[in-house]
Amino acid sequence: MVRWQRGLWWFLLPSFGLLTVVLLWPLGYALYLSFFDYYLGSSDRTFIGLGNYVELFTEARLWQSFWTTIIIAFGSVGLQFVVGFALALGIYKLKFSARLFTMLLFLPHIVTPVVAALFIKWILVSNFGLLDATLLGLDITPPDWLGDPIWAKISVILADAWIFTPLIMMVLYAALQTLDQSLIGAAQIDGANAWQILRHIIIPALIPAIIFTVSVRLMDAFRFFDTIYVLTGGGPGTATETITMYTYQLGFRMLDIGKASALGVITLVVVAIILLTINKVLTRIYRRGD
Amino acid sequence: MASVEIMNAVKAYGDQQVLHSINIHVEDGEFVVLVGPSGCGKSTLLRMIAGLEDITDGEILIDGKVVNTKHPKDRDIAMVFQSYALYPHMTVEENMAFSLKMQKRDKEEQKQKVAESARILDLTKLLDRYPRQLSGGQRQRVAMGRAIVRDPKVFLFDEPLSNLDAKLRVQMRTEIRSLHQKLKTTVVYVTHDQVEAMTMADKIVVMHDGYIEQIGSPLNLYDQPANLFVAGFMGSPSMNLIKGRMDRSDPHQFVTQNGKVIRLPCPVDIDPGRELVIGIRPEHFEVSDEGTEFEVEVIEPTGSEIQVILNLGGEKATAAFRDRLPLEPGDKVRLGMSENGLHFFDSQSGNRLSPDLYMKEVSPEH
Ligand SMILES: Nc1ncnc2c1ncn2[C@@H]1O[C@H](COP(=O)(O)OP(=O)(O)O)[C@@H](O)[C@H]1O
Ligand SMILES: [Mg+2]
Repeated sequence: MVRWQRGLWWFLLPSFGLLTVVLLWPLGYALYLSFFDYYLGSSDRTFIGLGNYVELFTEARLWQSFWTTIIIAFGSVGLQFVVGFALALGIYKLKFSARLFTMLLFLPHIVTPVVAALFIKWILVSNFGLLDATLLGLDITPPDWLGDPIWAKISVILADAWIFTPLIMMVLYAALQTLDQSLIGAAQIDGANAWQILRHIIIPALIPAIIFTVSVRLMDAFRFFDTIYVLTGGGPGTATETITMYTYQLGFRMLDIGKASALGVITLVVVAIILLTINKVLTRIYRRGD
Repeated sequence: MASVEIMNAVKAYGDQQVLHSINIHVEDGEFVVLVGPSGCGKSTLLRMIAGLEDITDGEILIDGKVVNTKHPKDRDIAMVFQSYALYPHMTVEENMAFSLKMQKRDKEEQKQKVAESARILDLTKLLDRYPRQLSGGQRQRVAMGRAIVRDPKVFLFDEPLSNLDAKLRVQMRTEIRSLHQKLKTTVVYVTHDQVEAMTMADKIVVMHDGYIEQIGSPLNLYDQPANLFVAGFMGSPSMNLIKGRMDRSDPHQFVTQNGKVIRLPCPVDIDPGRELVIGIRPEHFEVSDEGTEFEVEVIEPTGSEIQVILNLGGEKATAAFRDRLPLEPGDKVRLGMSENGLHFFDSQSGNRLSPDLYMKEVSPEH
């Protein structure tokens, strides 16, 4: 251990300075702008206090985008967590020859989300897409994957899950490898079945990794943008308009920077609250006495 | 309580065979120790008995019934692991009650059984603690408590003491023995430590490279090792093994590879053409004017005895004496040995040569 010495804090200065410039300054500036009536390009900026916030909260569109975000974020993270965890357990059991398999599963995660989304769009696009062409060939009339409000949500969820399931699988698989094998042996001898071993031994041991993946993914999913932008652009109507899509619309389509900033601040607070809650709950469930 | 019968058991991982036709009979209530160097297949065999590892070929019977395809929980065994395998997020009490909970025994019964086992192992004060709040010795005890709660037919131990410090290890050795005397449950105990095997076992199974080298009581193995491996493995400091052959003209003389002569206490009738290994335990050397002259290299007093590293024409040997002999490095000392401290092995096969094959009447002219 290095003893704390006076003057050592100088060494923190560069990284702290960098953090301030790239992280805290834009954040502070966004907070500042959120109190103004300010349009991009216009020269006047009027201080309106909480006006932007009041306006946002009284609009139906914010609430709708908020619920859309919740549905898509929890839907896709839930789906990719369940599938990713199941796959991790699967290859944990396989042990051998798993490497090639994992590489294949990882493929969707290697390409950039925008490209992956384009790829999915090419599959889902109506009539000419790979899926529709196949279904039509079989004389099945497919739903409008991206044009129907409900199917559009489902498509977006599936797309995100497809891209990020491999990541969750790898993190949980890595965590599984650190598990003491004899714990499973002991539990088997003690008469626990596969489900009980999962519940009493494996999941508790994975809690830190689970908290990590779920938090990171939820955080990401709340800022969910690129895939939706490519697939549906928030439509049809506002069916897949998440908070970030709405922020984008406000800021870059309507040029209402003040309101967009206010929405950004709201998003930050909401995400922080949700993450802290999830972290607390998961920790409380399994880490008693820690 | 039950017997354990292992019949022609084979284990292979793919093409690699790690256990070769193992046969062991463990009597009801017996304390059997599987001992051997690391990697010889002890844990694998124990895990096969537990049902944690498939049996490639052969049969394992517990209490007279073939258990090859039985699930571990249906074999009525309990196992103590080297890592203790305590469930980290459960208290000591929950750890001990886990198997009962899985069997859906009622809460009252769980509490009472755990309390009783805790009393036997002196764990009562620790019941509310989590494993990470315990010392190594306490964890070890909890692992045993978890095993005895279930009142199994057979206890399986896989190197349960190897993570403890030397003093605690000796203490726990005694404790496990006395627990066995109290419960009289059949025990199969794995260790790589031959001292542990000697002090604890009713019966020792010496394993090496997936084969059984010898099965017998501790003293039986010590006094009559069946081959060079057992001779070298059992006993500390280990038996001196010196290569050579009998002298052509004098049956009292053994000639080492370096041409040095070791004087034997009795004439030995083995073909001088045969390559031999002579075995002498360190404590079977005695100072004698008739004996062979060795050079003293190093002296290591242990308090209860002194161990002397000797040199005989480049060949090293160890002797141990209860008496505090006034020896110095560089001294020459003449050492003999008692007749029953002498072992002969065939150099080729490594097998022990039985004394009645080579001992002949001491001729009257000597
Ligand atoms: N899962 C496995 N796959 C392949 N080989 C194994 C496996 N487990 C153990 N072995 C091999 O089996 C042999 C015996 O191992 P083990 O029973 O653990 O030895 P011990 O407990 O006597 O130290 C070793 O050579 C080890 O490499
Ligand atoms: Mg082992």
